[in-house]
Amino acid sequence: MNTFYLGIDVGSVSTNLVLLDEHANVYKKLYVRTQGQPIKSLKEALAMLKQTVKTDFRIGGVGTTGSGRQLASVMVGADVVKNEITAHAVAALNHCPDARTILEIGGQDSKIIIIREGIVYDFAMNTVCAAGTGSFLDRQAARLNIPIEAFGSYALQSKSSVRIAGRCAVFAESDMIHKQQTGQNIEDIINGLCEALVRNYLNNLGKGKEIKDSILFQGGVAANVGIVAAFEREFGKKVMIPEHFDVMGALGAAILAKEEVKKTGTTHFYGFELVNREYKAKSFECQDCSNRCEVIEILSNGEPVARWGDRCGKWSGLTKEQSETSA
Amino acid sequence: MEVRVGIPRALVYYEYYPMWKAFFEELGVRVVLSDKTTKPILNDGINCSVDEACLPVKLFHGHVVNLKDKVDYLFIPRLKSVAKGEYICPKFCGLPEMIKYSIKGLPPIIDTEVNLRKTRSQLAHAFKEVGQVFTNNRKEISKAYEKALHEHDTFIQEVRKGKYPTEIIEGQKMLRKHNGDLCIALIGHVYNIYDRHMSMDIIAKLHQEGIKVITPEFLSDDVIQHKTDLLPKKMFWTFGERLMGAVLHLLDRKDIDGIIYLMSFGCGIDALVSDLCERKVRRETNIPFSLLTLDEHSGEAGFNTRLEAFIDMIRWRKRNESNISAHG
Repeated sequence: MNTFYLGIDVGSVSTNLVLLDEHANVYKKLYVRTQGQPIKSLKEALAMLKQTVKTDFRIGGVGTTGSGRQLASVMVGADVVKNEITAHAVAALNHCPDARTILEIGGQDSKIIIIREGIVYDFAMNTVCAAGTGSFLDRQAARLNIPIEAFGSYALQSKSSVRIAGRCAVFAESDMIHKQQTGQNIEDIINGLCEALVRNYLNNLGKGKEIKDSILFQGGVAANVGIVAAFEREFGKKVMIPEHFDVMGALGAAILAKEEVKKTGTTHFYGFELVNREYKAKSFECQDCSNRCEVIEILSNGEPVARWGDRCGKWSGLTKEQSETSA
Repeated sequence: MEVRVGIPRALVYYEYYPMWKAFFEELGVRVVLSDKTTKPILNDGINCSVDEACLPVKLFHGHVVNLKDKVDYLFIPRLKSVAKGEYICPKFCGLPEMIKYSIKGLPPIIDTEVNLRKTRSQLAHAFKEVGQVFTNNRKEISKAYEKALHEHDTFIQEVRKGKYPTEIIEGQKMLRKHNGDLCIALIGHVYNIYDRHMSMDIIAKLHQEGIKVITPEFLSDDVIQHKTDLLPKKMFWTFGERLMGAVLHLLDRKDIDGIIYLMSFGCGIDALVSDLCERKVRRETNIPFSLLTLDEHSGEAGFNTRLEAFIDMIRWRKRNESNISAHG
């Protein structure tokens, strides 16, 4: 029987799963859209994954990451819950041990991770604004009625450059509309947008950082050949796209789970039967003090399995005890 | 009946409250504080303040709303300068006006000007002016003033020894784990780092991770002054001076594993000083540095991710430094 390690990345735009074999090779990967419903999409993805694996297998360990990592963790019984930066770096280093710069652009987040001597040396992540991330590209593609998958190839056909304001997604959009109304080519406008996005990314995140080879580009946006080309023009260097660029977070989580289970010896995974459980997230405003915390409660078949969001720890502490006794 | 003076629990409250409280109480005036920051207080502040203001100033508005119906006077001094040759943030100079024109139904505001740019002795005049609202007895006022200065000194001494202002003023319990493996310097304005709601409780989160926290307030004025004197140009903002001086000093120390600069969105001083600090740190050392920005969002996920990743990175780097391979 094969032993696989499961990595789960519940992001704002996509939910990704990776099955890793004992030799840290990707056995199977899955990329589904979160569509604002992390619970539903994770259950569907797990069911799909189970179906596609034809051989007999067991799950040796589970790791979760992404902005929905906590939620995913209580649903599946994770062995490791890790932030995206560490997960992405671990996956990148596993793929390319001499990576020194990691560019990652996802749905809502963009990050740059600087690696020196095989460890994370520095990183930056976009602040409150999501300009220049995947969701913005998604929106522009939809507005222009171009499938997002083909968006980048339009940019490659551009003949002359059009400058688009990249500072803010709202400005960029109105700039694009102005340019389009004056008769500029759609290919040139899309290329201009790719360049604006790269410029904005480097101004915001790359500021003061030395971009050294090898440069890895990962995250959903790495599929966009227009952006890749714009990065390469900007750096004057080759940018590498790892084979599993779209699921690197999940891959990192799986690797971390494998390491964790090596230490602890056992996994907390609930098993694939969990897809038959009914999970619900409920939120309420705690009225016990003037903080009015928004408490989130996760119910599994009607039973609360986790709560968070409270400042005092009254609600989250409650389930910690429960899960400890049940574990 | 006692006269009640309201002090909003925001902005420089974290620096001057013990002084103000001592002064008013010595004059027989009751001091009423606004409640600790909550979501409704912040919402009120955002709703009634001008859009261009920074988040801490908006929050101040919320505290005024929370307080206005419970007191006879509001104490909102017009702070222009609190140190010789320096200025405070321009928003503080216009604070009484911003409040007056943004919030209706206010009690009288005591908006005495404090401007110590030329001479420190102006402080006595300012306090005299405040005191005269309540009494004509000059002796009493000057006695209260002495008391206020004394309380302020005691407070500052305690803070310099490593107590958080909120531990002293509010009796807040901060659990420090003494087996901490890391020491992180948390740099930011007092009202950003000590307001538990606004800072997303960052100090407690770091403590929970077993991390020792150092803030600029723990450092003596001499240490700060010594460092900022070395700058090519005088830093004329008092706030900026402390933050910058603290960072410069920390760079010399060997016990700092990381620096977190906590800034609020829309702060003009932070926009410059944070960048200046970051450049210094990056050019002259390899101490990990992270800039965290606070804004109205109450979702902690993004904030926690950055914090976790930063701590992870420091631990990873430390581990690596301590086990250098014996094989070249």
